[in-house]
Amino acid sequence: MEVQKEAQRIMTLSVWKMYHSRMQRGGLRLHRSLQLSLVMRSARELYLSAKVEALEPEVSLPPACPSDPRLHPPREVESTVETATADGEQPSPEPMDTQEAPTAEEIPAYSAPRPAKVSRKRRSSSLRDGGDAGLVPSKKARLEEKEEEEGLSSEVADRLQPPPAQAEGAFPNLARVLQRRFSGLLNCSPAAPPTAPPACEAKPACRPADSMLNVLVRTVVAF
Amino acid sequence: MKCFSRYLPYIFRPANTILSSSCHTEDVPCFPFAFCHDCKFPEACPDMQNSNVLPSGLLPSGQNKLGPWCSPTGSPAPLSCETGCGEGSWILVCRLLVPTQVSLLSMEEDIDTRKINNSFLRDHSYATEADIISTVEFNHTGELLATGDKGGRVVIFQREQESKNQIHRRGEYNVYSTFQSHEPEFDYLKSLEIEEKINKIRWLPQQNAAYFLLSTNDKTVKLWKVSERDKRPEGYNLKDEEGRLRDPATITTLRVPVLRPMDLMVEATPRRVFANAHTYHINSISVNSDYETYMSADDLRINLWNFEITNQSFNIVDIKPANMEELTEVITAAEFHPHHCNTFVYSSSKGTIRLCDMRASALCDRHTKFFEEPEDPSNRSFFSEIISSISDVKFSHSGRYIMTRDYLTVKVWDLNMENRPIETYQVHDYLRSKLCSLYENDCIFDKFECVWNGSDSVIMTGSYNNFFRMFDRNTKRDVTLEASRENSKPRAILKPRKVCVGGKRRKDEISVDSLDFSKKILHTAWHPSENIIAVAATNNLYIFQDKVN
Repeated sequence: MEVQKEAQRIMTLSVWKMYHSRMQRGGLRLHRSLQLSLVMRSARELYLSAKVEALEPEVSLPPACPSDPRLHPPREVESTVETATADGEQPSPEPMDTQEAPTAEEIPAYSAPRPAKVSRKRRSSSLRDGGDAGLVPSKKARLEEKEEEEGLSSEVADRLQPPPAQAEGAFPNLARVLQRRFSGLLNCSPAAPPTAPPACEAKPACRPADSMLNVLVRTVVAF
Repeated sequence: MKCFSRYLPYIFRPANTILSSSCHTEDVPCFPFAFCHDCKFPEACPDMQNSNVLPSGLLPSGQNKLGPWCSPTGSPAPLSCETGCGEGSWILVCRLLVPTQVSLLSMEEDIDTRKINNSFLRDHSYATEADIISTVEFNHTGELLATGDKGGRVVIFQREQESKNQIHRRGEYNVYSTFQSHEPEFDYLKSLEIEEKINKIRWLPQQNAAYFLLSTNDKTVKLWKVSERDKRPEGYNLKDEEGRLRDPATITTLRVPVLRPMDLMVEATPRRVFANAHTYHINSISVNSDYETYMSADDLRINLWNFEITNQSFNIVDIKPANMEELTEVITAAEFHPHHCNTFVYSSSKGTIRLCDMRASALCDRHTKFFEEPEDPSNRSFFSEIISSISDVKFSHSGRYIMTRDYLTVKVWDLNMENRPIETYQVHDYLRSKLCSLYENDCIFDKFECVWNGSDSVIMTGSYNNFFRMFDRNTKRDVTLEASRENSKPRAILKPRKVCVGGKRRKDEISVDSLDFSKKILHTAWHPSENIIAVAATNNLYIFQDKVN
C-alpha cells in the first residue's frame, strides 16, 4: 500500500514537472521530458505491480517464484521496478534488489529479512516499439507482502504516511483521479497505451496518440 | 537593486547596443549605473536604490546620479565599446562577477602545507538569474578566459601581463571585453521563446591579432571577433573632428589623415551567424582541428559547419527515430578529436559514448566505436537511468582518452577499450541514497561538466555546496575544495573539505544533510598549460592558481 502511494506520489510529481516544463522559457526540453517519462513509466509499473500484488491472496505469495508469471497477465510492461523510491529519505541504500536470498544490508530498516518476493523478470510480451527493449531493462523488484508491510518497522510506515498526505494536500483530487485512472487501466486489457511523453511534448504541433498521457495532462490542466 | 537587463529587449534597448567605455570621460557617465574603478566592474550604485529607475524607465543620459564610491575620472572601465551611447541609448549592466586575484592551490604539495591565496574584492549578494554563469572557457593560450551567462552576455577576461613591479599580481585576470552575444528571440511558428542563455563558448586558435570565438544559445551559433583598437584616424577632409560633414565650400586645403593613438578600445563584432539549423536545443559545439569546420549538436542531430558558410550545414549524425514515440535516448554532448579532424565522439542519455569517423560515410549514424559499461546490478535503482545519463564528454589533450561525467561519477575511457572505462571516480557517492529528494528538487537533472588539466594528469569536476573535486590520475589522490566567499579571505589557505557520510561527524566536516543544493558548480575550466582554474559558482567566477614558489 505504501509502495503504491509512493509510486503514485512519484507519478504525480513527474506529471507536475512535465506540465511545468511546458511553461518554462525556452520551451520543452527533449532530454528532460525523456527523463521524466522514464521515471513516470517506472513509477507506473511499480504502482501497477503493487496493485496487482495487493489483489493477490496472501497464501500464494511465499512460493511466489514460479507462480507469479502465471498470476500476472501478460501486459505491456516489460519489467518491474524496485520500491527504491520509498527509501528516498532513508539512510539505507536505495537499490533494493531482488535476489533469491535477501541480503540483510539492503533493508536495515526492516526488522527481519523478508523473503524475496520473486525475481520477476518479465519478458516484453507486447513490445510497443522496438526501442523499448533498451529503454527499460529488466529490473528486479522487491515487494513486501501485505501483512508484512503492516508489521514493518514504524520507520517506514511513518515516513510513508506524510507523502500521501502531501500528495493529497498539493493535489487534493489529482491523486485520486490518477488512482482511479490507473485502476481503470489495470482492469482493462493489457494493451495499454504507450508512454511516449517526449514524443508528444517535443512536437507540440501534433496531437499525441498517447491516451494515458492525455488523461494525465488533462487532469493536471484541470487543476 | 536587481539587474533589469533581461527586460531591455522588451522595453527599450536598441539592437546591438553595447557598452561603451568611451562614455566614461571626465563628464558624468551616461549610464544610470556607474562604475567602481576599484573592482573594475559596473555595479548598481547603492544610491540608486530608491530612485524610480526601472523597469518603468531608465534614466536617460545626463541625469545620472553618482554614488559616493563612484569616481568616473581616471582610466575608463575596461569594457568593450562599440559606438558611443548617444542621448537615450544606454545599457544596463549589473554583472556580479567576482574579479580575480591570485590564489594558490597546489596538488603536488602535501595537503597540509598547501597554501591558497585568493582574494575577492566584493561580495555581491544581490544576484539575479541573468547573471548566472552558464559556461566558462579558456582560449588556447590561456591568456583569455570567456564566460557566458544566462542573460546572453559574454565577458572576456584577460590575464595581466607580468611586470617587474607587481610580480605578485601576475596571473590576475581582468575584464577585457563584454558584449551581448545573444538576445531572447521568439519562434512564432511554435510559439516558443528562445532563451538567450549562452550554452557553450569555444575559442578558435589565434591566427592574427584578433580573437575569435563561437558562442551558442539553444538555436543559433555566432562567430564573434574580438579586436583591439588603439589608434584612430584623424584629419579627414570631408568630416570634421566630431564626424559632421564639412561644407565642401569651406575646404581649402587637403591633408592626409594620420593615425593617432587613442585609449585602448576592445570591440566585439559578430562575423557569422549560423542559424535555423537545429530543431532541438543545441547542447554542444566543438571546433575541428582543421580550424575550418566545427560541429553543433542538439538533442537528436549533429551538424557540421564551415566557418565561411552560414546558410548551409551538413548533418552528420541523426538519431531521430521515424516514430518519435520510439525515442529512447538523446545526444547530450559531442566533441571533435583534438588532432584527428575526421573523428568525433558523442555521448547519450543512456550512458553510452559513440566514436564516429567521418571518412566512413557522410551520415555517421553507424558508430565506429561504442563505449558502454555494463551496469552494476547492485547499483540498480529507480533513478538509475537518469543518473547514468552523461552530461559532458571531453577528449584528453593527448587524444588518447575521453572523460565522461554522469551524475555521480567521472569516468576515463581509453579509446582502445570499449567495454569499460579504465578509471572511475566517485564525485559524490553519498548522494546515491538521496536520489529521490534530488529528483523532487530537480537537482538530479543538473548537468555537470568536467575538465582535464594541461598534462592530462588531473581531472576536475564540480559538485554541490560550491564544492569542486580534483582527481589526480597518477597518485590516485583526490581533493574537495570549496569556492566560497565566506571561507576565503585574501591570501587565505583554501583547505580541503570533507563530507561525512554518516556516523560521527568530525570537526570541519559537513554532513550530507547540510549541503546546500542550490549552490552548485556546473562549469569549470583549466588553463591549457598552467595550473590555473576558473570555477563558476552561480553568478560568481573564482580563479585559483597554483602557488608559484
